[in-house]
Amino acid sequence: MKLLLVEDHAELASNIISYLAKEGYVCEWCNSYQKAINKLSGFEYDIIMLDLMLPDGDGLDILRFIKQQNADAGVLILSAKNALDDKIQGLDLGADDYLPKPFHLSELNARLKAIYRRRNLGGAHDIIFNEISLNTDTMEVKVNDRYLDLTRKEYEMLLYMIVNKSRVLTKQSIAEHLWGDYMDSVDSFDFVYQHIKNLRKKIVQAGGRDYIQTMYGSGYKFNPNI
Amino acid sequence: MKLIFKITLLYLLISLVVFLIGGIITHQIIMREVIYEEQRFLRERLDFAIRMIERRKLHKPFERDKIKIIPLGTRGEETEIAFSDTVVMHSTLQRMEPHNKLDVVKKVGQQYYKITLYDLIVEEDDIAEGVNEALVKVYLLLLVVVLILSWVASAFLLKPFNITLDHIKNFSLRKNNPIKYKKSNTKEFDKLNKFVEEMTEKIQTDYQSLKEFTENASHEMQTPLSIANGKLELLMESDNLTDEQVALIVSAQGSVQRLSRMGKALSLLTKIENKEFESTEEINLSELLLKLLFDFKELADLKSIKIESEIQEHVKVNMDSTLAAIMVTNLLQNAIRHNYEEGRIHVVLTHTRLSISNTGGALKSDPGSLFERFKKDNQSKESVGLGLSIVKKICEVSSFDISYQYQEPDHTIEVIF
Repeated sequence: MKLLLVEDHAELASNIISYLAKEGYVCEWCNSYQKAINKLSGFEYDIIMLDLMLPDGDGLDILRFIKQQNADAGVLILSAKNALDDKIQGLDLGADDYLPKPFHLSELNARLKAIYRRRNLGGAHDIIFNEISLNTDTMEVKVNDRYLDLTRKEYEMLLYMIVNKSRVLTKQSIAEHLWGDYMDSVDSFDFVYQHIKNLRKKIVQAGGRDYIQTMYGSGYKFNPNI
Repeated sequence: MKLIFKITLLYLLISLVVFLIGGIITHQIIMREVIYEEQRFLRERLDFAIRMIERRKLHKPFERDKIKIIPLGTRGEETEIAFSDTVVMHSTLQRMEPHNKLDVVKKVGQQYYKITLYDLIVEEDDIAEGVNEALVKVYLLLLVVVLILSWVASAFLLKPFNITLDHIKNFSLRKNNPIKYKKSNTKEFDKLNKFVEEMTEKIQTDYQSLKEFTENASHEMQTPLSIANGKLELLMESDNLTDEQVALIVSAQGSVQRLSRMGKALSLLTKIENKEFESTEEINLSELLLKLLFDFKELADLKSIKIESEIQEHVKVNMDSTLAAIMVTNLLQNAIRHNYEEGRIHVVLTHTRLSISNTGGALKSDPGSLFERFKKDNQSKESVGLGLSIVKKICEVSSFDISYQYQEPDHTIEVIF
């Protein structure tokens, strides 16, 4: 997957690049409107991560440019401007998703993969990991070809963990992924624990391996090497 | 009491004192003049009496009504005219009446005569009565005139002042329209207007820059927080971390996220204040509430909270759709967060009000400050303390009333449309 990151904050960009490098993505970076236009004129990317606030121009104009030039590329808007208008306008102009800052890098990873799946994998909706396979279209999960009866949240959690396999996922990041805006309302992350517990039980009962590892004090890790 | 009324009243009070003193003075002056006139009259009658003595060559004592002449012979001494008061039988009234009396010994020809003249006195009581009556009438006239004047004054003279007051009363920081005045031709009012104009302008610019600062600060905060959060996530990925180190990273991440949420909430508050949510439309609150109740059900279940609802269908209110969602979300969040395990939430929606009650421990802080920023009753870890301030602000811009009641063990927040 070839990515372009348009982001004027070097530090933020370096975080994203280091994180995504571990996924094996090629991620190029430019820090201004002009450079972004130059890159986009010359190269093709699978997904463009776009910051809306740039020192020399509006990110939405880059979005318009992308849609004229190369409508196949996916666009993920990253913005600290948590204005709903921007979000709606961005999505109207053809952006695939909108991620408000600050975000968890694991969340970014999950969103990128989702965009990639939607755009590039055509009819293939299956994510297969060893004995587990997820159909992102029907939201069905099979373990060793046996259907698993998962709740919506359990499905989302499993997908999130497989997409971010081998990484430590904090309870906060999981909670935010599952609950988004309503995250504030819970005093503890007990419910993450509840869901994880159920998910594990269901996978193991279906004959799957228990990939989900509890990391003491921090969260969980989907460990493929168990 | 109106200022003009106070001034009028004070003026009338002072004029009352002046009228009292004036009455006494008037009374005295009239008395003096009357006495002087009476004495002059008695003197004239004395001349008349002397002429009569000369004409008649009077030898015998002579007494008539109000005159008495006693010949004293050739020996004697002339005296000065002496006036005195006395009481004499009045011939027509047939009763004793106070009289003025003139006594003199006068030489007419070769004879000395003792002449006594009387004249009916004008009674002091009558004069006082007259003066009183006149003054009371004048005072009443003054009262009427002053009241009319004060009415006229307040209607016309104080008109610019009342306009200024109206302007100040209607002045709102949020409306962002500084007060402008027309020039009146009263120096004091012009001074006041100029002052109010400058003051409101200053307040408005200060308020504006404060708002901009809050918005910018909470916005600019997001990028560094995002960086910090990312670094922590990367750090978490490193190998060979001890459990203690991981715990430290997680705790740091938690704080960074809290700060970020706080910034977002503050910038939302500022945006609502700045009227950035002006797209008022008809919102079907019943549908919205049902949808959100469904979304929250799972969270409530985790705390084993039972949600009961009485929702009338097709309740519609006019407000911004984003704000409507934020308002209901915050209220429900609040009801879950401050609830206890196996608690209860009761939601009522009618065409006039939305009321959400939840079980929960009594507030330790003042219920009046519940809607203030950063007022948290329990220092609950996840809560930022801005949720209810946001709800209050939304109610303000949407012209709803909001109130809070506690009746053990239920906390009720009610929004009246």
